[in-house]
Amino acid sequence: MKEAKRQAKGHRWWRLGLLTVVMLLVVAACGDDDAGTTTTAAEETTTTAAEETTTTAASATTEAPPVEGTAYKIGFVASETGPGSGLGVPEANTARMLAEQWAGGVTGPDGVHHSVEVIILDDESNADNGAALVTRLIEEDQVDVLVAGTLSGNALAMAPIAEEAMIAMISMASSRGIIESEGQTRPWLFKTPQDNQHSAAWQAEYLNSLGVTSVCYLYENGAYGQDTLNSAKQFFEPAGITIAFEGSFERTDTEFPIMTGAQASGCGAVVVGSIPPGSSSVTQAAREFLPDLPIIGGHGSCNSQYISLAPDAVEGTVLPCGKLLFADTLPDSDPQKANLLQYIADYTAFTGGEPISTFGGHAWDALMWAGEALSSLEENADLDARRAAIRDYVETEITDWPGTGGVFNISADDHLGLDYTGLGFVKVQDGGYINFPSSDW
Amino acid sequence: MLALIEKRTSRLALKAAGVLLVVAVIWLLGSRQNFGLQQYGQLVVAGIGTGAVYALVALGFVMVFTVTGIINFAQGAFVMLGALFTVTLYETPFTGEGRTGLIISALLAVVLTTVIGVVVERLTILPARNADPLTLIIITVGVYIAIQGLALIYWGHAGRTLPSFTTATGSDSIFRPWGLVIKAQTLWVLATMVLAFAVLSLFLDKTMLGKALRACSVNRDASRLMGINPSRMSAIAFGIAAALGAVAGIVLAPLTKPVYDMGLTIGLKGFVAAAMGGLISLPAAVGGGLLLGLVENLAAGVTKAGLRDVFAFIVLIAVLLRGRSRAGRFQ
Repeated sequence: MKEAKRQAKGHRWWRLGLLTVVMLLVVAACGDDDAGTTTTAAEETTTTAAEETTTTAASATTEAPPVEGTAYKIGFVASETGPGSGLGVPEANTARMLAEQWAGGVTGPDGVHHSVEVIILDDESNADNGAALVTRLIEEDQVDVLVAGTLSGNALAMAPIAEEAMIAMISMASSRGIIESEGQTRPWLFKTPQDNQHSAAWQAEYLNSLGVTSVCYLYENGAYGQDTLNSAKQFFEPAGITIAFEGSFERTDTEFPIMTGAQASGCGAVVVGSIPPGSSSVTQAAREFLPDLPIIGGHGSCNSQYISLAPDAVEGTVLPCGKLLFADTLPDSDPQKANLLQYIADYTAFTGGEPISTFGGHAWDALMWAGEALSSLEENADLDARRAAIRDYVETEITDWPGTGGVFNISADDHLGLDYTGLGFVKVQDGGYINFPSSDW
Repeated sequence: MLALIEKRTSRLALKAAGVLLVVAVIWLLGSRQNFGLQQYGQLVVAGIGTGAVYALVALGFVMVFTVTGIINFAQGAFVMLGALFTVTLYETPFTGEGRTGLIISALLAVVLTTVIGVVVERLTILPARNADPLTLIIITVGVYIAIQGLALIYWGHAGRTLPSFTTATGSDSIFRPWGLVIKAQTLWVLATMVLAFAVLSLFLDKTMLGKALRACSVNRDASRLMGINPSRMSAIAFGIAAALGAVAGIVLAPLTKPVYDMGLTIGLKGFVAAAMGGLISLPAAVGGGLLLGLVENLAAGVTKAGLRDVFAFIVLIAVLLRGRSRAGRFQ
């Protein structure tokens, strides 16, 4: 063995080998899935290109109305692959569904017909990719409006690009920071998902009804997790609830050393601020370490992946979610009900029975605003004027607008236009979501 | 002579000071969160469980390195293949349901991965056997990337699940001695690691083939003169490494969500564990794996952050620096 030792040490390349590792580490640090997904990026682009042509071809073959105006383009970016795919896939499906529904184009108030094309791209859950794709959509594809950003971090990376190009961007991610900066509304940015503050308000009410005064807050590292924690701090304290322990984890983690600290803190309930797969894994760990405590999630977990990844562990957890998940139990007087049922029927038919998630709903709301704004445009506007007109339309005309995320009332001061009643409250039961209104608490 | 002794003591003192510093920092951070014996016990148990997986992977690195002189960065791919093959085989109807299905799937997955390990060696290492060892290392990196790419195409990007060995369902049975939380699967991991280590040691010590492998690791040219075929030994070493990787992946699978890119991090951590023992000793690799798991878990536990990987890579940098000073001594 001594002989072997000398042999090993004698080789200078051993150190070179270590150098290789350091380089690999850099790759690993930049994002776990970087190495493998280069191929998907290429594939994704080609399929999208193919779809683009088919969409245009379809609109060309439809019977042409008298006057054909400018072709409209909507740029759409979601996280179809990578850790955000549980959210991004239903969003992209919704975009494909609407692209098909809009294949006939729109007719403006002046009677001019326009084809509508939705360019669907995948940012692979990577913020840098997202920023690059948005730049491409603005500069090369010259889109009229952007519907972009599945994950808060990605949407925040895209936002300044849209602002600089002066194009309206409707985000499908929930951080308040996307539409507001230091208390000021960002003029070009809108979003459709409810705020994390709305989630926190529901969580505080529920915790009060349980009589719990100290919680363990477990959140994912990143923009979304941080935003949920800040929202919780804002709402829990006035409600008399202290955060006894706050621990963070990576969205892809499967082991949670922070549970030891949560256990030692002696809190009375667990609140999770993450999206799947992180929220499922951390809920499973919380069930193992703190089996007697109630577990409360946020509206980032309102999709089927949250349940399917850890069906036993998430059973019985409660969380605020959009009404899309329990639309059939709503009273007929509910202004959203018709739209919700319509979306569910369309989506189910289009995807062949894929489960409904509120994230597809966020994409639907955003794209419908964009579509409505496009059909309000007069011909003879140049690109910059069209982009500005779309922004103005969304800011002023989306009022009393029943969407999947609530009844929107957008104004110059509020580019979301929802209060916390846009969300409902649900419980995971028998592997599905059921309505769990405050009267049942 | 005296100077040498002095040098050695001062180095020992430095090491002891380093260890004390780490322990003190952990204790300080822990006391701020009211950590007691139970909490540290929990972190240690979890750390040993994770460390056992790293140890299994590290054994594969040592096998290939001692026999062929190559650092095989495709080792992480074998871990991923073992886990994902088992998941897929378990999902197919012909392997059967429940525990029998799991056992059959696991065995088939090990066999499949071993065959892939040998094929990889024949296709990529054998044709380049006269190349610079650095070239061979780069080849293994290439093999890793290729296997990961194929896995992405075949399995997609979503994480899978494998039922735990004890219950054959998604929820594992959990032991709670003295307030600790110990998953049955963690015990499976530990037992598998100990068994694999014992079998491998016996195989290398007692069998003719094992002795031939060891001879190859000590002196390749001399063993060729004794009628041992180093090329064949290289293929066998890759096969054993692939089997060890697959086993690691399979016992780990119920604790994590196997996914196509899991091999990179776990392969690197296995390498760190093996490098801690100098890449040439099986017991040192096991020790390195357990130590790495412990440090990682304790550090992550007391800092409240999910940055376990950061601590593993801090250890790697320490190993790197140590390796440099050591190599420097011989020049």
